[in-house]
This record gives sequence, structure tokens and C-alpha cells, in this order.
Amino acid sequence: MAMATSTFSPPASQLALRRQPGAAGRYHLLSFPRLRAGLRLARAAAGEAPVEAVEAPSKQVVEQPLSSPAASNGTAVKAKEPEPAPLPRFRDSRWVNGTWDLKQFQKGGAVDWDAVIDAEARRRKWLEDCPEATSPDEAVVFDTSIIPWWAWMKRFHLPEAEKLNGRAAMIGFFMAYFVDSLTGVGLVDQMGNFFCKTLLFVAVAGVLLVRKNEDIETVKKLIDETTFYDKQWQATWQDESPPESKK
Amino acid sequence: MTSLSSSAATARATFMPSSCRARPAGGRGRMARLVTRAAASSPKLPSGRRLRVAVVGGGPAGGAAAEALAKGGVETVLIERKLDNCKPCGGAIPLCMVSEFDLPLDLVDRKVRKMKMISPSNVAVDIGGTLAPHEYIGMVRREVLDAYLRSRAEGAGAQVVNGLFLRYEAPKEPNGSYVVHYNHYDSSNGKAGGEKRTFEVDAIVGADGANSRVAKDMGAGDYEYAIAFQERVKIPDDKMKYYEERAEMYVGDDVSPDFYGWVFPKCDHVAVGTGTVTHKPDIKKFQAATRLRAKDRIEGGKIIRVEAHPIPEHPRPKRVAGRVTLVGDAAGYVTKCSGEGIYFAAKSGLMCAEAIVAGSANGTRMVEESDLRKYLAEFDRLYWPTYKVLDVLQKVFYRSNAAREAFVEMCADDYVQKMTFDSYLYKRVVPGNPLDDIKLAVNTIGSLVRATALRREMEKVTL
Repeated sequence: MAMATSTFSPPASQLALRRQPGAAGRYHLLSFPRLRAGLRLARAAAGEAPVEAVEAPSKQVVEQPLSSPAASNGTAVKAKEPEPAPLPRFRDSRWVNGTWDLKQFQKGGAVDWDAVIDAEARRRKWLEDCPEATSPDEAVVFDTSIIPWWAWMKRFHLPEAEKLNGRAAMIGFFMAYFVDSLTGVGLVDQMGNFFCKTLLFVAVAGVLLVRKNEDIETVKKLIDETTFYDKQWQATWQDESPPESKK
Repeated sequence: MTSLSSSAATARATFMPSSCRARPAGGRGRMARLVTRAAASSPKLPSGRRLRVAVVGGGPAGGAAAEALAKGGVETVLIERKLDNCKPCGGAIPLCMVSEFDLPLDLVDRKVRKMKMISPSNVAVDIGGTLAPHEYIGMVRREVLDAYLRSRAEGAGAQVVNGLFLRYEAPKEPNGSYVVHYNHYDSSNGKAGGEKRTFEVDAIVGADGANSRVAKDMGAGDYEYAIAFQERVKIPDDKMKYYEERAEMYVGDDVSPDFYGWVFPKCDHVAVGTGTVTHKPDIKKFQAATRLRAKDRIEGGKIIRVEAHPIPEHPRPKRVAGRVTLVGDAAGYVTKCSGEGIYFAAKSGLMCAEAIVAGSANGTRMVEESDLRKYLAEFDRLYWPTYKVLDVLQKVFYRSNAAREAFVEMCADDYVQKMTFDSYLYKRVVPGNPLDDIKLAVNTIGSLVRATALRREMEKVTL
């Protein structure tokens, strides 16, 4: 309850924000339609009962798990009138004291890390769309390193690794067949050849670095970027008449 | 013979504190060689007159340069257009500046010992726990610092002139003088616009800041710059207590796409600001976002001043032309990532002045472009690692919100804090324990990977 009342910012903040009503209003209007649409989606898709109940009236009202969607929409409309109104704060029943309460993520005795990752992704997305004021009392202290490494592996690395290995295998099989059909050199003999080993290296590097079409441009830009700052600093030495102490 | 050796000794003495502190043994030897080379090659000034140098701009760079020049026996003129100028500035100076420039402690309004880094998703990390009791980041008012350094320069024998530098004319013969044109302001004769005056000097030090006219005249080229926008807010005393020793740094796309937003405490108010290079027209939006993030803590505050200023992102293509050189912001010596410029301005002014003093054998000989290039070489050598490391940090950690989250997560680590403060407070890039460095590298990669993975998840989430 005490935490929720902080959403009602005292009038003085309105003065401070009034200088930029346009900006605050913009954030406001941006977030509302998406929120309402998203809420409908979330309600349809979400399997987590406690999250749903809290989301519905999350806009301006103190947490009331029993309030209906109609009531929340009503308060939303009312909230638009005081201009600029405070932005909707992020609320989740599992988000306690600035971190995720792992006890609420239990699934069959162990912590469901996938759900933690999902919850944190949602929280970050919410805050990216509606940035919030920070406060020392509600300090966020969540650190993603509490999620064990194997949870990250299973969730993100393994599917990607499967995709890349699949690509490498397809390229490898086809190239081996192609080279064999052209030169008659079998797979084992190909592996002994220096040129073929180089091709293999290039293929592996390519599969690892270039995963989307845009990656080719990104790699080129990265190479430029690493030396750009150095070039800016050395510019003053380019026009030196007798080449003296070079940087 | 005796005069040469004594001047060599004094030149060495003045050269020592700044550059030789880094490498005492090698530096000392090099300095001795420098003096004899300069004294032998450059011509002695006619009729025993002293070398005349104009320092354009009276900020930290100009003040430090003018003082060192005057102390070294050079006839110095410092031109400053506004003697009570409150240059818009964060106002943070590292600890080493207080000791290296013998600044009195009452110049420092506040000693910041705690910093709060706040990520886009409001993860807040406190840094400063590794600081020793005597270590702090000093917050100064620019008008106070600049006036102090100028008064010291005047005390050392420099002539401080209130005027606006207009342009200079290059000399017609190889050892001729530069003619400086300026608008002289004299409150006593009541002329509003000032009167046009000229004077002749042998060398010019451009210390006139990011919009340097000296740089324009010498064709130094342009640089990319960030706009820093700042509002000074007077907040009630109880809220001011929170900022007693604390500064805050906000990162996030809402606050700035390529820089950070800040709340820095000043003498009796706070400065709330942000900056950007790539999205300058949106600066007001970023400022609103910064104020929103700090809303609870600056509530009830009154904005007493709004100010903005460009901050260079990298040095100008040309920093020396003939006997004209640039120092400080005019040269573009602002670090990436943190945007720190006061210390480097003062230090570059000092090093430039020392190079001129040594090259002219205490003002008795003419200086040449090669002497000024020695200052550039020394400055680049001393501070290149610092600049490069900060550039890499900016490229890696200010890329995206995911990278910023990783950045704030990394800042929670004690080793990172210790390394960061060591390099900031003392301006040295210390390698540190290799095992800890490997652990740090692994943790950094881990943080970045996790944040990027979460970012991909975020893209799939519809709220």
C-alpha cells in the first residue's frame, strides 16, 4: 500500500513537469493505447494469474485485485485529465523490494528461471516504453547474474548453436560433394589439403560472424570503428613537414 | 656558459612536475636534450627582448598556460572576453588536479564521494565504496576556478586584458611577429562595444574553447561535438542533503542516445543535464526524460538557470600551425564516455607553456613549430591510453540499452570501481592484477551476453 501511494505524485511535481507538457503528454499517449491493447493480449495469453490481476488496474489506482477491466478503463480516462498526469508505474506481484522474489517463481520445487527471464524482459520493456522516476526507497537491485549460466545456455545459446551447426553442416556436406565431383578428391583427402583447410576455416568463420544479411555491413563498420578515433588523434601529425616524432 | 646552464636548470625545473611525473628517469634525460637542442638552433631574440606570447581565452587552459609562461620568463598577455563568465559546465575535477595545480581547498564546493549509476530499467548501483577517505571528485564553480587561475597568472607577471579576440595575421617573414586584433573592453571609458586594438606577439596559444576563433583562423578544421544541456535547479534543503556527497548518472535511450544524463551537486543547488552528439534537436526531450528519472529527488525545485554548450568529441585535425597552437577545448581534449575536459584543458595549457618556455630557453630565444609539436607529442604520449580506453568504453557500453544495462551491472563490481576511480582520480591507466583482469573480462562478456539475450526477449514481448 505504501509503495502504491507513491504513484500519486504531489502537485509540486506537476509544476516541475509542466514546463514540458508536450513531452510528458507524448509519452502518456504513446503508452496508453499500447498498454490497453497489450493488456487484452496479455490477458488472452498469460497463464500467470497473479500478474493479470495486478496489471488490469495498474494505471493510476492503488492495487485492487478485484477491480474489473471496465473500472480500470474508466480510471484511465479520468487520469488523462490532470495534465500532465503521472505515467503508469511498473507493478508486478513478484517484483518485491526492487528485485524478483524467486520464491514466487517455483515450479515443481525448483526455480523456473525461464519465467524469471521472461519477467525481467517484460519489466525492461515496460520501463523502456515508460521511463520511471527512480527513488531511493524503491531502489532496484536486481542483478541478472543470479540467473545461473545453464539457464541462459539452454534458453539462448543452444537454439542458436543448433541453427549455426545446421548451417555449417549443410555447407560442409554440399561443398565436400561439390569438390569431390569436380576434382575426384574424397572427403578424407580433402581434409589433408591446405587449400581445403583454408576454405573450411573461412566457412566456419563466415557462419559464426554473418548470421543475418546486415552482419556483413556491421563487420565492415566495426573494423572502421576500431581505428577511427586513433586516426582523429593522429590527424595533426599528417601535415608535419619533417617527419619527426610520430605518435 | 653559466647563464645557459642555469636557464637549462630552471627550464628543467619547470618542465619536471607535469610530464616527468609519469616517467621520471627517461623524462629528465629527454628534457636536458630538449633544452640544448632548442637553444642551439633557434635564433636569439633581437636586442635581448623577451619572447611575447598571447594566450587567447581565460579559462582553465588559458589561466594555467599564462601562469606557466609568466613564471618561465615569457612576456604573456591573456585575453579574456568576459571576466565573470559562468561557463556551462559539469564542474567536476579529479583529485590530481587539486594537487598538481596547488588549488586551495576552498575552491572545491563539494566533495563527491558517492556516485549512483542508474540503468535504463532503473537498476541503481552505488559506486564509491572503494574510495579512500581522502579521495573525492571535486565539484567547482567555473567562474570561481577560472578567476582564481587568472589571478594566479596575473600574480606571476602575465597581463590580463579584458577583450574579445577578433583575428590574427600571420607574419610575413619567417621570424616575424603575429599581429593580434582584438576588441578592448574598458569599463572606465564608457564605450559599449569596445575599441579595436592590435598588438604584436611571437606566438599564440589558442585557449578559447569549443568555438575557438584561433582555431578558425589557423584552419585547424572542425570536430564533431556533443551538445550539453544543463538546468541549474535549486531544491529544498532536505532534498539537497541527499546530494551532499552524491552525484547521479542516468543512462538510457530516453535520457540520451549516446551520452548520459546527470545530476551533479553544486554549491547550493544541483545541475540536472544531459547531452548528445547525434540527436541534437531532441535535446529538450532528453532533458525532460532526465528530469523525470530524477523526479522524486528534485521535486519542488526551482530552475534558476538554463545553459548549454558544445563539447568536442575528438581533437581537431590540426592542432598547430606555425607558432600558433591550441590547448584545452579549442584543441578538442575532451574524453569520450565521461566528457571530462577541465583537467585536460589545464594540463595541456601547462604543458604547452612549459614547451614554449623550454624551447625559448626561458623567453630568450624565438620558438618554432617544432617546439610546439613537442608539447603535442608529450600530451599525446601521456594521455593517449586514457583517451583510448574511454573511447572503447563508450563504443562498447553506450551502444544500446542492453549494453548500458550491462555497463551498470559491471559497475557493481568492486574491482571495476577501483580501476575506474584510480584511472579517473590520478589519470593513470594501471594494468592491475592479470587474474582479476581476466575475471573482469569474463564478467564483462557475461553481462553483455545476458543483456543482449534479454534485449532479444524484450523484442518479442508486447505489453
